[in-house]
Amino acid sequence: MSMLTDPDMEEIVLGFTEEASALYEQLIEILEDYEDEPGQKKLEEFGQVIDRVMGAAKSIEAERTGNFCELGKTISYKASQSMDNELLNIVVAVLFDTVEILQKINKTIINQKSEDLPDINLDRFSTRLRWLSDKFQNIERSSVAIATPDAGQADQKSIDELLQSLGL
Amino acid sequence: MAINSYSNLSNFGYNSKKELGVVTMAFNPKQKILIIDDMSTMRKIIKNMLGKMGCDQLDEAEDGIPAWDMIQKAHEAGMPYEFIVSDWNMPGMTGLDLLKKIREDERFKTLPFLMITAEAEQSNVIVAVKAGVSNFIVKPFSIVTLKEKIDKIFP
Repeated sequence: MSMLTDPDMEEIVLGFTEEASALYEQLIEILEDYEDEPGQKKLEEFGQVIDRVMGAAKSIEAERTGNFCELGKTISYKASQSMDNELLNIVVAVLFDTVEILQKINKTIINQKSEDLPDINLDRFSTRLRWLSDKFQNIERSSVAIATPDAGQADQKSIDELLQSLGL
Repeated sequence: MAINSYSNLSNFGYNSKKELGVVTMAFNPKQKILIIDDMSTMRKIIKNMLGKMGCDQLDEAEDGIPAWDMIQKAHEAGMPYEFIVSDWNMPGMTGLDLLKKIREDERFKTLPFLMITAEAEQSNVIVAVKAGVSNFIVKPFSIVTLKEKIDKIFP
């Protein structure tokens, strides 16, 4: 049974949707601010806020929400290091769409305990996000991580191996 | 960079496990635990997991600023926290900044500190270990993983 449909998790899932809803509003405000006055810090702030939703979403098995947040985070962090204004305009438009879709998914979690949106081709949208992320291939930093050469993403197993090698 | 290339601890200036924030006392579910995360969903999930392990002295803070205040006040009141479970990415004071603050204070040099993050970045792990983290867990995680981490911190 998915956590989204688990009666024991109902309160936590509902709490998540309320929290996520407030953060989505915050994301929209950040993007609107960016449109009024573009600035790299705003895109980085977008990445930090969407990252907060991502961790909680994945923890309650809202996989689709978590994956869209992850892509949104990657794109916004990478975009925050880009000077390509034309591409940045596309980024902001796509991030607006991302938040709109996340808001719709949030409503279906509340009403139907699922993340399905039959009227929207989410796989196609996901492909669009990945395409956009690939446009920043030459930019390495995709998160709030402390930048170091050769640093990369790792799963829990790799992190455990690394910790072990560090004596923990 | 390959994981194995980190195996030489001397590269990072470590001499012993004690310096890495590793403790040797056993875990007691009745210990006083502070959970720090800006997302209340995450705090509830962690509380739920720790509750299933029998823990019932669980306090919460939204970020490092109130947490640091709570840690000091609890110590001064003679009821110190014995285990900190903290998120990394938080507004206000991050988990890393809180960890550094804790380790700078003689009273909390060995206070067990489990860092939770959605950022599975090797660079983050190294920085956190250097700062004296007791262990590191990546979101999303199960109760089994959390228990394993606790068992490693409190062998």
